[in-house]
Amino acid sequence: MALSPVVTTTSSASNPQLENIQTLRPVSSPLKNLASGSGQTSSNGNPKPALAPAPASTTGQTLPPTLDLAEQMNEEEKRKYVKGKKLGEGTYAVVFLGHLRSNPATRVAIKKIKVQKEYTEGMAPDAVRELKHLQELQHPNIISLLSVFSSKDQNLNLVLEYLPLGDLEMLIRDTDNVRYGAADIKAWMGMLTRAVWFCHENFVLHRDIKPNNLLIAADGEVKLADFGLARSFADPHRHMTSNVITRWYRPPELLFGARYYSGAVDVWSVGTVFAELILRAPYMPGNNELDQIKMICESIGTPTEDNWPGVTRLPEYTVPGQHPTRGRDWYEMRFGIVGTDGVDLLIKTLALNPQKRITAREMLKHRWWHSEPKPTRKDDLPRKDSGAGEDKMGMDLKRRPGMVADEDRGAKVARKLDFGQR
Amino acid sequence: MATEDERYRQSSQFRLWSFSPTSLRELRVKTNDLAKQQISPRFAADAQPEFLTPAEETMLVQFFTTELIRAAQFCELPTEIRSTAAVFFRRFYITNSVMTYPPTELLKTSLFFGCKAEGYYIRLAKLAEMFPNTTSEQILAGEFLLCQGIRFAFDVRHPFRALEGAILELRKRLPEEEGRVAKAHAMARDILKFSPLLTDAYFHYTPSQIMMAALLMVDKELVDLLIPVAPPGDDGQHEASHAEMREKIFKTIESCRSMLEKEPPQRMKDHWETPELVKSMKPLRKKLQKCRDTDRADLVALQRARREQATTKVKKPTPQSDGAVFGDAVEARDPKRRKLEAANDLFGPAL
Repeated sequence: MALSPVVTTTSSASNPQLENIQTLRPVSSPLKNLASGSGQTSSNGNPKPALAPAPASTTGQTLPPTLDLAEQMNEEEKRKYVKGKKLGEGTYAVVFLGHLRSNPATRVAIKKIKVQKEYTEGMAPDAVRELKHLQELQHPNIISLLSVFSSKDQNLNLVLEYLPLGDLEMLIRDTDNVRYGAADIKAWMGMLTRAVWFCHENFVLHRDIKPNNLLIAADGEVKLADFGLARSFADPHRHMTSNVITRWYRPPELLFGARYYSGAVDVWSVGTVFAELILRAPYMPGNNELDQIKMICESIGTPTEDNWPGVTRLPEYTVPGQHPTRGRDWYEMRFGIVGTDGVDLLIKTLALNPQKRITAREMLKHRWWHSEPKPTRKDDLPRKDSGAGEDKMGMDLKRRPGMVADEDRGAKVARKLDFGQR
Repeated sequence: MATEDERYRQSSQFRLWSFSPTSLRELRVKTNDLAKQQISPRFAADAQPEFLTPAEETMLVQFFTTELIRAAQFCELPTEIRSTAAVFFRRFYITNSVMTYPPTELLKTSLFFGCKAEGYYIRLAKLAEMFPNTTSEQILAGEFLLCQGIRFAFDVRHPFRALEGAILELRKRLPEEEGRVAKAHAMARDILKFSPLLTDAYFHYTPSQIMMAALLMVDKELVDLLIPVAPPGDDGQHEASHAEMREKIFKTIESCRSMLEKEPPQRMKDHWETPELVKSMKPLRKKLQKCRDTDRADLVALQRARREQATTKVKKPTPQSDGAVFGDAVEARDPKRRKLEAANDLFGPAL
């Protein structure tokens, strides 16, 4: 279904030269991929049926009757997949289940970006960001982009690997049916940390890490998804917007309006996810930005010139009151199930001062990974049945970046930054 | 994932947009051939136009790249964005012919999309105001085409950061020669802002190779200093392989340098902006006017037609029976068709 080509006058069967057009992500030498992909001057000397002028009787003849090279490549990509049932629909995207035409057992998720009414300047910035970064990042703990193609009326379709087991949020929330322990948390945290490390190593800030952006593959591997708010590290002195990261996972520097920041913003989010995995509830679920700051002050400590030199000069610095920084014992009481080493790592990821916060690379060297218990093997991790997961992937991928699950409609967290700011 | 080289090989710039000189040449010839095959049927058999050669196409793309650079300077876009836009433009015309899609339009679209890809959100209307007789719709009309043409690879790796790194290193190594390093920095940066964009350097070399080649043009000794010799105390065999590697690196940088030297930054003033050059481009542009694909020259009309076709296709199942039976479906679409043809006529009849 829905696979009719942009121009109806070309039929795939009559188009032998399409067969060697390469995929978006060839593994062979890049020196030959386009060259071989464009085998238009057919070596066998056959005429080129697809390129002949179309008979005048077919549909709207306002379009050029033939497909050019780029269009042919697009058609070829599109034909590789069969679109199946809809998994979810949101304001930003519609997600379909799909499979490879050549091998129906290989399932994929097709994320069709909607044309957005309120954004009239062409391709949506979220889609541009997502495509830009997923094209570059290939890692076992980051969702893979398998292909991109356009369907009629120029909708972008991202073909993503299919992750049928839902997301971490689902496991965290289902306290009745899902039980997990320190070893499981360690395994999940390990995969999350490697994903974030890899982004940072490639100079990409994710800027929207949260449990429902951590999807789970059939084999239990956790994959970081939704790069709709991601950006490359800025050059020195170049402004960035502070209006990113879903509120509960947003670090204090962004709440205070910092215009220059680093990978430390993602590390804070990782810390809040770590705490949430242990508590099985969001650690600091603020109702609004002021409330969020208040919760940080109460749960971790009030940012002051003492614990964070320079913080009072941040553009939107306000604190509701003075709370002392929490001591190790306080954390041990709440988060003790991950052991002393685990608590040490948690404290370091939730350092108020971003310059003192542990980096993703340092996280990977932390002793917690080596202390008992060892992380669970991914195949043995707790999971939910795939029916629920399928729907969940639809929900997760269709959502707009930067949103808490239930506020897709109302709050405009990420949206505003698309205009005028960077 | 261990080395930077391995990481670069995963980038879209390497995977999709790096070529050997031979395959790049072949691609351009194929693109040119394909365009000719497509356009030729639009002309009567006895009135075939003279088509552009691949070399002429390359020349025109180069000329319009200088126009793009000038436009970006006029709009005061940051260097990286200007370069990204130029690379998008050049990549687009590897698999698309200037005879098929008008470079004057794609140039503006490249600038707009270059901004977007770099996260620099300039208002479309503001950009349109910068150009004479240009509407927002015109700039946007080519956006999807461009994205498809650049294979949805929006991340371009530039040599500028490599240069900053090299300069930091040189400052540390040569604390006594601040002036010399500063001068090399400025000159190399000027080269990087221009020469790699006017040549095929981005298609053949890595950002650091391009950076080293630019430094080589301004101060060879500095490059000698940056590319390490074998560490002392190594055994002989190790030393030999290291020397061999060093030689290989230098050979590559040297060949990149000779490419960049064909278009040193002063060529902008001394060549591309001279009235003689602009005049000498006229016959070529005229030739282009005569052989271009008139069906695709007006991107706005083309875009509207695509949208329209998409919507009519969706509606089709219901009205089809009537239309098919009474044969009026085609007729009903006719006024629109005529309108579009008229729009095409504004750009002159097929010559």
